[in-house]
Amino acid sequence: MAGDALLRHVVTFGRVLHEGGVEVGPGRVQDALRGLDVVDLGSREDVYWALRQTLVSRQDDLEVFDRAFRAWFLRSPVEPAARSVILDPPERQRGRGSTSNDRNGGDFADARTHVLVASTDELLRERDFAEMTPDEFQEAKRLIAEIAQTRPRRTSRRRYADPRGDVLDVRRLVRRSLRTGGDPLERPYRARKTVPRKLVLLCDVSGSMALYTRALLLFLHAALGSGPGVEAFVFGTRLTRLTPDLARRDPETALERATTAALDWGSGTRIGASLRELNDVYGRRALTRGAVAVILSDGWEREDNALLGREMARLQRAAYAVVWVNPMKGSPKYQPLAGGMRAALPFVDRFLSGHNLRSLEELAAVLAGIERRRAA
Amino acid sequence: MSFRTIDELEDALRAADYLPDRGLSTALFLSLALEKPVLLEGEAGVGKTEAAKALAAALEARLIRLQCYEGLDVAHAVYEWNYPRQLLHIRAAQEGTVSEAELFGQDFLIRRPLLEAIDSDEPVVLLIDELDRADEEFEAFLLEILSDFQITIPELGTIRARRRPAVVVTSNRTRDLHDALKRRTLYHWIGHPDLERELEIVKLRVPGVPERLAAQAAAFVRELRGLELAKPPGVAETIDWAQALAALGRQELDAEVVEQTLGSVLKYREDIETVRDETLARLVEEARTAASRS
Repeated sequence: MAGDALLRHVVTFGRVLHEGGVEVGPGRVQDALRGLDVVDLGSREDVYWALRQTLVSRQDDLEVFDRAFRAWFLRSPVEPAARSVILDPPERQRGRGSTSNDRNGGDFADARTHVLVASTDELLRERDFAEMTPDEFQEAKRLIAEIAQTRPRRTSRRRYADPRGDVLDVRRLVRRSLRTGGDPLERPYRARKTVPRKLVLLCDVSGSMALYTRALLLFLHAALGSGPGVEAFVFGTRLTRLTPDLARRDPETALERATTAALDWGSGTRIGASLRELNDVYGRRALTRGAVAVILSDGWEREDNALLGREMARLQRAAYAVVWVNPMKGSPKYQPLAGGMRAALPFVDRFLSGHNLRSLEELAAVLAGIERRRAA
Repeated sequence: MSFRTIDELEDALRAADYLPDRGLSTALFLSLALEKPVLLEGEAGVGKTEAAKALAAALEARLIRLQCYEGLDVAHAVYEWNYPRQLLHIRAAQEGTVSEAELFGQDFLIRRPLLEAIDSDEPVVLLIDELDRADEEFEAFLLEILSDFQITIPELGTIRARRRPAVVVTSNRTRDLHDALKRRTLYHWIGHPDLERELEIVKLRVPGVPERLAAQAAAFVRELRGLELAKPPGVAETIDWAQALAALGRQELDAEVVEQTLGSVLKYREDIETVRDETLARLVEEARTAASRS
């Protein structure tokens, strides 16, 4: 086949994939062309595999690829030589959507329990946010801000010279022993630094959460103030990024604006679609990668529970850990029966309530203690 | 050893007792032809690691394996200095006669898999196994090595690969790998094999297994994969199980022997209980029917 025609074909096919949401960079197109160069163009199976293995890099994109392969190579006008390519992709066996080997509640190191709020009014700490008087809420605001200062941390891979470190710096020790005839007189040590881990907070602001959003958004606001690496979003019918807005404005004004932006009155909560946007748009920029993701929501998905499950799986794979905070869980009678909550739970590493100050403290303690990824 | 067509490679893999499907052969063939690492993703037990071993056998190359785990670092992946030997050497030598250059020379270098693979003169297949288990920072580091095929050791300088190793990266997909890494690799998702191929694999790996028993075992495992299990069994489990059944002298599956040997197929107590609840007898019946149809 003429090289030009093939090139045009593959480039256009790349565009079709792109429309389907699969990123295809120029490097990949080049690989595809090189790949087609070494396989038998008369074998539709080999052509299918060569294109798939060069253009796709995630299992999630395989479905789009198959559809595009079928659609594009069926309807496009092609030169005779390429005609053998126009056929259905071969039967493909797929495993289950996700590997969920170990879901026994996550394998986190023991949470260092911080006593964050020492001895304030115990009653206030237990009081449901929904039942607080304005005065109580004023007091609670201050405490929320304090609680939100706790950040998950991670150890960096590099070690630094540190006399109080935990690991002997043998390389340096050997070098120094050279001067002393092999006697290690000095003991240089190295230590790992810990740095704050990325934190992504997503708060549901739909109607069913109304009694809790104010308190939870104050938590978001204060968490943003705890240093770099925190991202805050709200969602209702769609996802809105709060980070720049919330960092600048007075929290209550910012919250009001954000809530309006995230809600279309008259349509229901779309958690799945909101998470998809998070994964598609922000996940691509590695915002969720290695982060601790916290979703604050009652799990009332009004549209598509299957979508919610799929997007939760994606989020969990990108993130270091996923925490779900559901204020309804505070009620002793609560059971996660809402369809959305049930769909999401298999992909949640920690499931907490968030209806009062005490439960936010618990959240802070969990965040502080998240030190290890779930078992592989 | 090089292959001009996918079929040639496929034959060589078969000769190494590995039965690839067309997709996997194509992926490995392209990886060799394009000199790009290939990323094999799929559930545990679908034969990702085996594929790399078979490729090494087909290429008559040495297999160098780097098993990844959380906390894997340069000292275990690339190189380390042999400190005890260095210290002994200083002590044994006359004072002032040992130079730093001597101390940090080839003699005291412990070569770990990545250095071994880059600094090899013979053909090598480098298997980076279960990369999803390693830390993301290690992944970034690996990315550098996979782009330049060179390693810098401060005391020795830069070591460049004189011949590029064939690189197979595997992931169980417990987390997504970096896009940057994926851009550098070909991608192939390995699913569970279909019934006929799995039967073929079992017969190849368990010589002398009764045909009917193998067919029923493969069909039974297939039924298991349709259940909601924490860890669906892979091909490796089917092989283990067929071996166990053959060792017991069985010609056919029945509920009793399945019950006795379920532990070699399912590795979680919860899963074993689920299968018991699913009424094992029904599954056995279905597997026997499915096996007789194929």
